[in-house]
Amino acid sequence: MATQIDPAERLLNLLIALVNTHGRMTKEQVRTSVAGYADAPSDEAFERMFERDKDTLRELGIPLVTVTNAGHGDDFGYRVDLDAYALPAIDLTSAELGVLTLAAQTWQDRTMRGDTARALTKLRAVGQAPGASELVTGLAPRVRSGGTVFAPLLDAAQARQVVRITYRAANTGEVRQRRVEPWQLIARRGGWVLIGWDQDRAAPRSFRLSRIEGSVRTLGEPGAFPPPAPEQVERAMAAWRDGPSRIATLALLPERAEATRVRAVEAPPDARDWASDPVAGPLVAGRDVVHVVYRSEWELAEELVGYGDAVLVLDPPEVRDHVLALLTQAVALAPDDERGERRG
Amino acid sequence: MAERASDRVVRLLGMVAFLDRHEDASVEELARQFGVTSDQVMADIDTLWVSGTPGYLPYDLIDFDFSSYERGVVRLTESRNMTRPLRLSAREGVALVAALRALDAGLAGALDDERAAVVRSALGKLTAAVGDAAGTVDVTLTLAAAPAVAAALAAALRDGRRLHLRYVNAADVASERDVDPIRLVTDTDRSYLLGWCHAVGGERLFRVDRILAAHVLDEPAEQHGATGAGEFAPGDDGELVTLHLTSRARWIAESTPVQAVRNHDDGSFEVDLRVVSPAWLRHLVLQAAHDVLEVRPAAVAADVARTARAALAAYGPLAARTAEDS
Repeated sequence: MATQIDPAERLLNLLIALVNTHGRMTKEQVRTSVAGYADAPSDEAFERMFERDKDTLRELGIPLVTVTNAGHGDDFGYRVDLDAYALPAIDLTSAELGVLTLAAQTWQDRTMRGDTARALTKLRAVGQAPGASELVTGLAPRVRSGGTVFAPLLDAAQARQVVRITYRAANTGEVRQRRVEPWQLIARRGGWVLIGWDQDRAAPRSFRLSRIEGSVRTLGEPGAFPPPAPEQVERAMAAWRDGPSRIATLALLPERAEATRVRAVEAPPDARDWASDPVAGPLVAGRDVVHVVYRSEWELAEELVGYGDAVLVLDPPEVRDHVLALLTQAVALAPDDERGERRG
Repeated sequence: MAERASDRVVRLLGMVAFLDRHEDASVEELARQFGVTSDQVMADIDTLWVSGTPGYLPYDLIDFDFSSYERGVVRLTESRNMTRPLRLSAREGVALVAALRALDAGLAGALDDERAAVVRSALGKLTAAVGDAAGTVDVTLTLAAAPAVAAALAAALRDGRRLHLRYVNAADVASERDVDPIRLVTDTDRSYLLGWCHAVGGERLFRVDRILAAHVLDEPAEQHGATGAGEFAPGDDGELVTLHLTSRARWIAESTPVQAVRNHDDGSFEVDLRVVSPAWLRHLVLQAAHDVLEVRPAAVAADVARTARAALAAYGPLAARTAEDS
C-alpha cells in the first residue's frame, strides 16, 4: 500500500537523488525511482509535480542543472551540484543570530516574511546556538508591505528585467502603462517607491507602489539593462531625500504644541524681531516665538497644521503657504449649509 | 496553517548540516536552534531517517545512531552527501541585508554601543556572504525621538524597568504617567512605545515624537499579560467616520487602522475609521486636506472646517499677504 508521501519528503528525496546521481537522472528515472513521484496518477500530474518541485528548489537557491547527452540533443537529464550552491563560510555568534532574527521580523510583507524565515533557518544551521535574543528585546522595527507588486518588482530589479506596470499618475489621476527598467525599491515615510528608468519617457522616474494597479508583467529576458550608474540613482532618489536642515520660526499659544516646542532650538543670529513687525507684531502678542529645525517643508506643514490656531508659521513663507493651503482646503469640507450660513 | 514544503525541506537540510558540525545534539537543542517544538524535531528526524537515494535500502538512507536517539541524543551517522549548508537565495539575502541596514541607520538612537556593534558585525558578515546585489532595497526607519528619550526607552526595555513619561496626546494635552514598557515599534514614518500605563490601568500606544521627557525609574516593569493586540488593531469604540480620498492619499489606508476600504472606479476610495479622539481625526484630515474629497458624518466635517477657519483667522494679515503674493 502506497501512502501519499509528504511534498517535503518528495522534494528532499529528489534533491538527495540528484546530488548523488552519477552524471544525471532523466525525468523518467525520477518518476520511476524517486520516492513520492510514483504517486502521480497520470503523465500530466507527474509533469506538474516535477515542474513545481524544480521551481521550488530554484526558489530555495538550488537550481537543477540540465545535462544533455552529447549524441542525442533530446536525451537530457538533471543533477544538482550542491558545492556550487553552498553558503560561503559564515560564522555567526548567537548575538548576531538574535539580531538577524529581529531583522527578519521587520518585514510585514508575507513573501518577504517567508524568505527571511527560510534564510534564518539556513543561517541557524551554521550559527551558534541561539540564546542572546534578549539583546534586542523590546525593539520591533516594522516595514509595511509593499503589496502584491513588491516581490515581482524586487525579483525583476535583481534580475535586471524590464517590467510593464499600470500606473496612476499622482497629479492628473491618469492611468497609463509604463515600461520601466527597475533599479531600486525604497521604503520612506509614506510608503514604498520604485526607482527606475522609464523607457517611454527616456528618463529616470520614481513610482509609488501604492499607485501601481493590477499586476507586474516582465518583458523580455533577465540582464536586459546594465546596472544604473550611482549618480543616476542618486538623481532619481533626490526627490525622496530630506533637504538640508533649516530653521523655521513659529508663534505658539502658551502651553500648546508641546511636542513641537520640545524640539525648540536657539534663535538663529539673523532672526527677525517679529514682535515689532508692523504686520506680524499684533499676531505674535501673547504667543511664544520658537525656532525649530526642519528638513522637509511639507512634513513640517503637515505636522503644524494639526494644531489649528495654536501654531502660526512666521517663517519661512513656503511652509506658511503650505499650511494656509491645507487650511483653505479644509474650510471647503464644511457641509454646504454651514458655508452658506457663514457667507450669508 | 500547514507548513510550506519548501520551508520544511530547508529545515531538514539545515538539521543535517548542523548535526554534521555538532556531534550529539539533543532534541531540545535542535528545537531551540531551529525555533520549533521537540515534537516537530522528532517528526523531522523520522522523515530524514527514511529519506535517501533511490533504492531506499538501509545503506541508501540518511542514518542516525539508534541507541543514542533512544536517550534523546541525535547523532548523524550517514548524511548521503547532504551536509553542505545552503546558500541564501537572492531575495533572502537582500531581505535580511536591507533590514539590518535599516536597523543600523534608523535604530541607532535606541541601541547602546554593544548592540550597535552586534548589528554592524552581523551586517558585515552577511554582506560578505550575499554580495552587492543587496543594494536593490533601501529602507529608512524613523525613530523620531529626542536622543535622551530614545536612550531612556531603550534602557528601560533592555533592563525591564518602569518609565516615568511626560506625554502630550493628540488633543495637545500634556500629562505625566508611569508606564511599564513592552516594546518600541519603529516603522518608516515614526515610532510608538507600547506600554502598560499605570494612569489608565491598561495597555496604551504612545507616539514617541510626543514623549516630551522620559526617565527610567528604579522599580522593575511588571508583566501585565500584555497581548499587544491593541498595537494597531482598530477597536470597536468611537464614532464611525468615513473619509472619501483621492488616490494620492493611499498612505492613509496603509498607515491607519481602518475598518474598511472601498475603491471607486475613478481611483478615489473611501475608508471607514473608528475615531476615539476627535483631535486625532482633525489632525489627519487637516494634514491630508488636499486629498480629502468628503468627510462623513457632516458634523465631523463641520468641526474640521471650524478649526481650519479659526486658524486662518489667527493668521490675519499674514494669510492675506501670502494670498496677494501668489
